[in-house]
Amino acid sequence: MSEPERVGRGPFDEEPTGTVALEQVPEGVVLAVTGALDLSLASTLRRTVERAARLRPARLVIDLTGVTFLASVGMAELVRANRELGDVAVRVVASGRIVLRPLELTRLTDELTIHATLADALAAP
Amino acid sequence: MTTAEGGHAEADALLDALASAFTAPDGRPVPVDRRPLTPDRLAGLHAGDGTGILVPDDAQLAELAPGAAAALVVLDGASGTALVAHDPVGRGHLVAAEAVAAATGGLRRTVAALRTEAAVIDALQSVGRRLTAQLDIDSLVQDATDAATTAVGAAFGAFFYNLVNRFGESYTLYTLSGVPREAFSRFPMPRNTLVFAPTFDGEGTVRSDDITADRRFGHNAPYHGMPEGHLPVRSYLAVSVISPSNGEVLGGFFFGHPEPGRFTGRHEVLAEGIAGYSAIALDNARLYERERNFARELSRSMLPEAPPVPGLELITRYLPAATGPKIGGDWFDVISLGTGATAFVIGDVVGHGVPAATVMGQVRTAIRSYALLGLAPSEVLRHVATLLDGLAEPTFVTCFYAVHAAGEELVYASAGHLPALLRHADGTIDLLGEAVAQPLGVGHEFPERTAAFPVGADLLLYTDGLVESRTRDVTRGMEWLVAAVAGLPRPLTPEACDDLVEALTGGDNDDDIALVYVHHGGAETT
Repeated sequence: MSEPERVGRGPFDEEPTGTVALEQVPEGVVLAVTGALDLSLASTLRRTVERAARLRPARLVIDLTGVTFLASVGMAELVRANRELGDVAVRVVASGRIVLRPLELTRLTDELTIHATLADALAAP
Repeated sequence: MTTAEGGHAEADALLDALASAFTAPDGRPVPVDRRPLTPDRLAGLHAGDGTGILVPDDAQLAELAPGAAAALVVLDGASGTALVAHDPVGRGHLVAAEAVAAATGGLRRTVAALRTEAAVIDALQSVGRRLTAQLDIDSLVQDATDAATTAVGAAFGAFFYNLVNRFGESYTLYTLSGVPREAFSRFPMPRNTLVFAPTFDGEGTVRSDDITADRRFGHNAPYHGMPEGHLPVRSYLAVSVISPSNGEVLGGFFFGHPEPGRFTGRHEVLAEGIAGYSAIALDNARLYERERNFARELSRSMLPEAPPVPGLELITRYLPAATGPKIGGDWFDVISLGTGATAFVIGDVVGHGVPAATVMGQVRTAIRSYALLGLAPSEVLRHVATLLDGLAEPTFVTCFYAVHAAGEELVYASAGHLPALLRHADGTIDLLGEAVAQPLGVGHEFPERTAAFPVGADLLLYTDGLVESRTRDVTRGMEWLVAAVAGLPRPLTPEACDDLVEALTGGDNDDDIALVYVHHGGAETT
């Protein structure tokens, strides 16, 4: 079994290897997440969701297109955002097995409103 | 820049003035050569590193400028300049040299004192940085003792410090510097005598030019002073090490010297400085140690020993993450239900550290309690989900719960957990409970399923650390697991189980891992 080289090792292991970018668009706010959405990035996502909520957008899109690993702690943050944002419509962009498979295994596909592309998520009613 | 240039201008002016002081006995100026001297040449003059004016003796003169009549060497740090006259001269240059030395002597002493001061601050700063960067108690106390003993110029130093063991009992250890351990190992620990009490009680520094002449000295039996064979101590300096976090006395530094009057106010300040850094370092190390013990104790106390179950062979594992936090939220459980049935549980509380571990402890206990009430799997999970709604923080817990009654059937429910692997006697593998319900903390309905679990079959429950990581998504990880399980010996040996984990994680799992393996051996196994 050959494994690709790990991105983070040793003293930098806890450094997030991903990013969360907030962008305001006419439809609301888009959070573009990239890299591994695990323990080291989950708190960044939570803070960014809270920042987005203060902007009182009509819609919050969490775009997971650039996510390379979705750990359960990341899924917990998606559920938290979905439940705690009140009247803000939360949409999740997910495609490909890396992100979709964990959401299916936990049946979060029933809980979250998921779209295949950012354009769909912004256009959907 | 300005200072250096100013320094050069001053040095040139000084050289000019001194050169003009070389005069013949009749007072006429004589020609003077200027020769820059390399550090090697300066070393030959035993000039050392400093400023000032050196008058070479005859031998040095012959060496410096053969045939010269007179010379002066002006030192400027590591470099210097020789002023050399070949014609006969009077005493004018010597008088000038003396005058310059007299005029600049105070300044030179000030410079020397400031340099010493700066060196002390540098030393203290680097000791502090080194000490406070350590978390290993043994090496940091030795390092502190060595640094402090050197800094105060003691013949020897000792550091007595208190630690608390895992039963909460306090005990004292010591390190030494400047003497071998055998020099003290015959003596008992110092007691709280009048001499030592201020240090052990944290009442302030004790400094004595001659401790044997101190009124506090020599009052206690049996020694009335130092025990026979003790290293001679006249100069004595002792400082307390006091925890900055709770004011507790963590220990004390003791310095000795066989000659009286060796320790100055400066040494006292230095010792107190190092004691301050040592206190921070010890505090950090003790807190770190406590945290680590706590993590170890917590995970150890929360994990059960699987009870022997007639007819079943069990292997269970809990592996903390190889990297990162050592407390995770994974757990497993094997519960004898009293009716001859056995429940197998595996679960994962999202997150790490104490918050995850405390939720895990509660969920595990709740599941045990509902299980022992004899509730069906879907009911057990539903009750736990309701219980979790009452927690202040939202939680996210995946869990697989299966009951094997005496017989050949398995009844199970899963709350968003990864599917269990059921390997049939013929080697084919089924995934149980794949994507049937949401995690605890999200969903409230957990449909129940049944599967045949005949003699000869194996069941493997595991957590996500076994199959997924940043570099391997769950789909691929599951494929690897299924392939690896298909090749396992039957029944599984503990070694083969460890090899399985090793093969799947490469031994550097950044998440914790729990697993339960059950082989249905039938009536003949016990």
